[in-house]
Amino acid sequence: MNRWVGTLFVGYLVFAFHPATPRVNAQTPPAAPQSASAASSSAEPTLDYEFFKTRVEPVFLKKRATHARCYVCHEEANHALKLAKLPPGATTWTEEESKQNFDTVSQLVTPGDPLGSTLLRHPLAPEAGGDAFHSGGRQFASQNDPDWLTFAEWVKGQKAK
Amino acid sequence: MTHNRRVLLALGMLPVLSFLAARPAAAGISRIYVTNSAGDTITVVDPVTNKVVQTITGIEVPHGVNFSKDGKQVFISNESESVLDVVDQKTGKIINKVPLSGHPNNIAVTKDGRDVMVCIASGQGALDVVDIASMKVIKTIPVKGPLHNVYVTPDGKYAVAGSVAGKRLTVVDISTMQPAWDLAFDGGVRPMTFDTNADGSTNRIFVQLSNLHGFAVVDFAKHVETSRVMLPKGNFGKEEWRMGTPSHGIGVAPDGKTLWVNSILANAVFEYSLPDLKLIAHADLPVVERPGKPASGAVPEWITFTPDNKTVYVSNSATRSMSAFDTQTLKKLAEIPVGEVPKRINTLVMP
Repeated sequence: MNRWVGTLFVGYLVFAFHPATPRVNAQTPPAAPQSASAASSSAEPTLDYEFFKTRVEPVFLKKRATHARCYVCHEEANHALKLAKLPPGATTWTEEESKQNFDTVSQLVTPGDPLGSTLLRHPLAPEAGGDAFHSGGRQFASQNDPDWLTFAEWVKGQKAK
Repeated sequence: MTHNRRVLLALGMLPVLSFLAARPAAAGISRIYVTNSAGDTITVVDPVTNKVVQTITGIEVPHGVNFSKDGKQVFISNESESVLDVVDQKTGKIINKVPLSGHPNNIAVTKDGRDVMVCIASGQGALDVVDIASMKVIKTIPVKGPLHNVYVTPDGKYAVAGSVAGKRLTVVDISTMQPAWDLAFDGGVRPMTFDTNADGSTNRIFVQLSNLHGFAVVDFAKHVETSRVMLPKGNFGKEEWRMGTPSHGIGVAPDGKTLWVNSILANAVFEYSLPDLKLIAHADLPVVERPGKPASGAVPEWITFTPDNKTVYVSNSATRSMSAFDTQTLKKLAEIPVGEVPKRINTLVMP
């Protein structure tokens, strides 16, 4: 019974707060650091570039067991999530490329609403509340996956330490 | 040997004997290969038991799969490294990597077993020809648009490659390795299959297209599209973000009497008679159960058959499975769990 209530509640939140077009509130880099009071007074969380660069971006390059890396299908791809192509031999993006990725990925999230964000919903297993189909598969089996939670932290406005 | 030991030995042999007896003697041993396109594995299934008998590992984003004429080598296009991986059939280990001219998609092997044709989906597109003896690209054939799927016609004379972005199919004369003719469509060219004339030459190409819930019929001799066949409607596809590819996976059964077509929108595989293209029957595909939401479709991708014509296999990318159906009764024989987003499937028949 509790599971049903939880599911319905999450479903209601997604329905009620998922906008037709993503609300973009990206903190376009380079941005002046926000004061803690300014950040907390904001009604809508802002997306932190440093958190993205240090915590979110590495997930795109991470090899997960039995899964292809996100980057393989999303580099220079004909997708909404089009990541910058790494030069041969490079294992991380340059500052400029990371900023480009930040701008791209910010378009796919709704600040403050992880399940209203395509970035989190699309690669999440449909059995766990994700979209019906992702051609990159079930990258996250549940909403407890540590990498999915990292994405969620960023969307909820977590700042880099 | 004591009586008891003889009995034990005989009992021990029973599974082996029953296993061998279950095989179609004339057809030889066959295997169904499925590439798990969002993973790094290729799953191999024994069609006698419908069980997984081998998993090939270490190929990230595998696309097409095909075989050497003697069945000893498996060729797999590798999207993450832009190479053609050559795998030892017996061990499942990678034994060679052939660098390609660009990012590969599907592959085909010429009927004489000399070359692997590889679709190049990057840049302007091309058809790489890999010489199997030397394991080198010996020719890169320019075409009009990035290529997705390639086939060799049943008579072995032509390779037919399709371009999604270029909305065109290109027919290559294998004797010269030169484009012979091409044909433009109003949608991207997706999977294709062929039926034949009495002399074995190609009669028609059945072509699936982007945004078409059905297939186009092309007269091979005249190089023209003659008709389109629409599939029965369905309610799937929107939730799965696949309205632009409503039908993916098509194949003529080995006996040439029926045509099988996947529908993403109807979440089913449809059987048509040949040559008259009358709808005979259909089989439903599995669904994905989602908490608090309507079930979504299997997103079928590809079709293959056992060489004895008795079983048809459909890869289901959303359910991470392959469905096996009896071609006569349409009864489901098995739902085989495979890897992440299974797409291309192919049947290896050991000579």
